[in-house]
Amino acid sequence: MVTIAFHDLAESNAASRGVPDLRICYTPHPVWGKTDAQMYAYLEGDDPVTHKPLMPEVISALTRPLSAKDKQTGEMTPSTGPKTFTDTADNLQKYYMDNGMTDFMPIVIPTEEKVAAMLKGTSHSPDEMVGELTPARGAFPPWKFTVRQVAINAVMAGATPDYFPTILALAASGQSALFSSTNSLVYAAVINGPIRNKLNMNFGIGAMGPFSQANATIGRAWGLLSKNLCNGGLPGQTYEGSQGNVINYSNLIIPENEEASPWEPLHVQKGFKKEENVISLFFGFGIQQAQGGWGLGVKPVPHYQEAMVCNCVPFATIFGALIVADPLVASGLVDLGYKKKEDLAAWLQPPR
Amino acid sequence: MKRRSILSILGATPALLAGSRLEAAQKSKHTMHSSDAGDKLTGLNPRGIPPAIKLLPMAPRLKTLDGKTIYLISDGFPGADHFLNQVKIWFAKHMPSVKTIYRLKAGGFAADDPKLNAEVKANGNAVIMAIGH
Repeated sequence: MVTIAFHDLAESNAASRGVPDLRICYTPHPVWGKTDAQMYAYLEGDDPVTHKPLMPEVISALTRPLSAKDKQTGEMTPSTGPKTFTDTADNLQKYYMDNGMTDFMPIVIPTEEKVAAMLKGTSHSPDEMVGELTPARGAFPPWKFTVRQVAINAVMAGATPDYFPTILALAASGQSALFSSTNSLVYAAVINGPIRNKLNMNFGIGAMGPFSQANATIGRAWGLLSKNLCNGGLPGQTYEGSQGNVINYSNLIIPENEEASPWEPLHVQKGFKKEENVISLFFGFGIQQAQGGWGLGVKPVPHYQEAMVCNCVPFATIFGALIVADPLVASGLVDLGYKKKEDLAAWLQPPR
Repeated sequence: MKRRSILSILGATPALLAGSRLEAAQKSKHTMHSSDAGDKLTGLNPRGIPPAIKLLPMAPRLKTLDGKTIYLISDGFPGADHFLNQVKIWFAKHMPSVKTIYRLKAGGFAADDPKLNAEVKANGNAVIMAIGH
């Protein structure tokens, strides 16, 4: 028995697990928060799919003889369509979009030539298997993918070959940027090391905004490959975020401003060398901005700590919180005694 | 109950099926939107490699539920336990010969629970699983 909100998910999931005609009966959604009487009324009411009385449907599902199709065995490999598509540029734009391969923004058509150029950005063989991706671990069987398939998505996103190793690393992480949850989650990648300068990434003004080709297209490529390499991002089937999140268009690509930060870079904190290139992944509900160190210093704001803690607690209880501070704010915090990032984290998590 | 065809859901969501439609179109004399002017390009398919699907036959059905034991299993989402308690009450009222046993499945909603499966096989005749919240 499945609540109706999960209809498409339940059916596609059952099929992908080898039981395409699994007998599923549906109740209204939700059951959570309903009274016993309301839930019992669901049982006395109709299945919202068949519009027939629900419990007789359940009993029928348990007792109706199996058909030959219900008993079938064997193996099949789903088709992902032809290897290439040929048409005019405008028609191909529409084709890629209409068939769920884009983020509904125009793409760069991934021609053989452009993909070959992208592949020059890596020493890895085009046919090398990179790894696996799934829209949600445990819920959907993972798909595999090659370096070439990552490159196709990188071209579509508007990336250049220089960016490809970073995109390949994101793909190899096995982490979809479109994780399927009824929460409309977002993903962030903190980039550390010399690669930030090599790619001319923006870690200055507007670092997390649409002001850098590298930041924008690396993030967009992560989103596109999260759709195409694992059948992700299909609302109702492999994406369940109830409201969606605009950050999913390009994700949060955050090159740390190591040069201006008074604190140790994140990757060094985690045991890497400063000259190593490292990507660290985070996820959560989204971005919430808050007043900087001013509230602590020049003109203390009453209840400032309580307010800041309140900003973090709703997120931190589930995911932890990623605090991103402008270097000016970070320097101000150091002046106020927060010599290390851990000092600030401790302030945000006062003993209860 | 409206069901999609097997091909439409065996990992072949609308996005995947569309590829087949295009392939068919390309094999025909008329390419899609053939009236449109402009040079033609060939774009590559960005999709990954889906795993093979092993088809599983369903468990044999019961001829009747009279005198049978049905496990009511929650996947752990909020409210499923209360909902299944109402299912239990429904059976007691409408089909009192049916014995119902409630269990919470271990692990996440999609994770297997071999210990519970073994218990159901040993002691039960059927399962109703509640998924959703």
